[in-house]
Amino acid sequence: MRRLVILVLILLPFSGLFTSVPTFFFDDAIINTVIQVLVIVSLNVWLSIGTAWWLLFTETKWRTFIEWFLFLPLFIPALAGTFGMYIALARFGLVGTTIGVLIVLLVVTLPYSIRLAYNAMSVIGRPMFEQALFMPPLRRYRDVLFPLLSGTIQTIALMSTVIVLGQFVLIQLIGAGLISTVTTRLYQVYAGNDVALALQHTWLLILIPAVLYIAIGWGIRLGVKIVKGRL
Amino acid sequence: MGLQLTNIQKRFTKRDVLTGVDLFVKQGEIHALVGTSGSGKSTLLRIIAGLESPDTGTVTWDERSLLGVPAHERKITMLSQTPLLFPHLTVGENVVLATPDRSREQAEKWLTRVRLAGRYDDEVHTLSGGEGQRASFARALAADPRLILLDEPFTNLDPDLKYELQQLTRDIVSELDLTTLLVTHDREEAMLVADRVTLLENGTIHTTGTPRELSETEPTFGDFIRLEGELYPLTRIGVFSEGAGERVELVRHLVKFGVRLGEYRRPNGEYVILPSDVSQQIGQSYPLRKK
Repeated sequence: MRRLVILVLILLPFSGLFTSVPTFFFDDAIINTVIQVLVIVSLNVWLSIGTAWWLLFTETKWRTFIEWFLFLPLFIPALAGTFGMYIALARFGLVGTTIGVLIVLLVVTLPYSIRLAYNAMSVIGRPMFEQALFMPPLRRYRDVLFPLLSGTIQTIALMSTVIVLGQFVLIQLIGAGLISTVTTRLYQVYAGNDVALALQHTWLLILIPAVLYIAIGWGIRLGVKIVKGRL
Repeated sequence: MGLQLTNIQKRFTKRDVLTGVDLFVKQGEIHALVGTSGSGKSTLLRIIAGLESPDTGTVTWDERSLLGVPAHERKITMLSQTPLLFPHLTVGENVVLATPDRSREQAEKWLTRVRLAGRYDDEVHTLSGGEGQRASFARALAADPRLILLDEPFTNLDPDLKYELQQLTRDIVSELDLTTLLVTHDREEAMLVADRVTLLENGTIHTTGTPRELSETEPTFGDFIRLEGELYPLTRIGVFSEGAGERVELVRHLVKFGVRLGEYRRPNGEYVILPSDVSQQIGQSYPLRKK
């Protein structure tokens, strides 16, 4: 009975999605969204694994401070950070630009990604990664780091995607209303009365991370297979 | 020719781990670095491997500095206490990964050499502790190193397996004429495996010598017997022919036997019996027999 209640609670928000058949469309908002997601996911994977590696291998008395500083955005309300970013980016003329939006999205996603990568590396253990140091860099990354961290990479990708797709205020503020994404469009649609249009955008918001997660997972599995096939 | 460490100093946050260490490992020799926990032996090994940098001092191989040379360019491999095989690869793939030309034949050759023939396609988690360590050893050898570093690789093994792996390691590195630096806290193990032994105490070199030299000069250096003119650590007590007749000369007080025990089980399962009904004294000889 308890399980049934939990199941109903989980499915309840989605029940409205099936009240009418959605029709799909393709416009600049979707293109912007997919590009943003792909860029942010790539940067997150690259920077988080690099930073986690550095944290794992660096011995310094400043270590605790550096960790605290890196994870600081996790403890500060996103909106407070957003206003700070707005002022900073405005000085560089990046407000209202795609690069400005990408930077701010990176700021809100990266601490989580670093945390994930660092935790995964800590569990696998420094000695295991040290064995990889005896191999040339290409082999180290391709044959050891990438397959060992493939699950983490997929999680970072999903988390970054979901965070990016969840940002409305941030993209509106830094994008100065000029950068259109599925999320920003969705809020406008919700403000109106067109249920079918709202449904289309909601489906998009659900499908984009799902498709990307499956695609990235498939890509990673294929990559690991290729790597193992070379051995 | 070989590895030369000069005036190596290393300080971690609040304490000096190594203070002016000088060490020379001749090419082709098996050199043991013996010290208690915290004496700095593993740190020294990590400095040689390129996993740590010394605060001062030099590390050279054939008079060419290794400082600043990344670990993968030093032609050095390292075996740790645990196998550290990559879990996403099979046993054989772990070894292939280390071979310079990614050769499956080479990997299978090394696996056979460490008595793991036919285990190429096995998953890493199916290996026992000793097998894992042997696979790890095969991987280290497959990289064609000029120096192999052994960081207490036998510590977590049961006595029989430990002895077997010690022998295997000794045989293979001798056969390959591979320079080997073994770090251990077990003095007996050092005596069994190494050509020369260095004692490290509180981050400084205490003494260096052959097992025979150390057994005669170092009061703390283990329990040894002289059997037919040769000096052996206790674990090497052997019965070389059937029946009684061999005599052992006690070189040091037999701590393990004391006067309480008269028999000792050798790693190969044989029993060696020393007389327990007499007070054992250094310099005296006693008959040795099989159980």
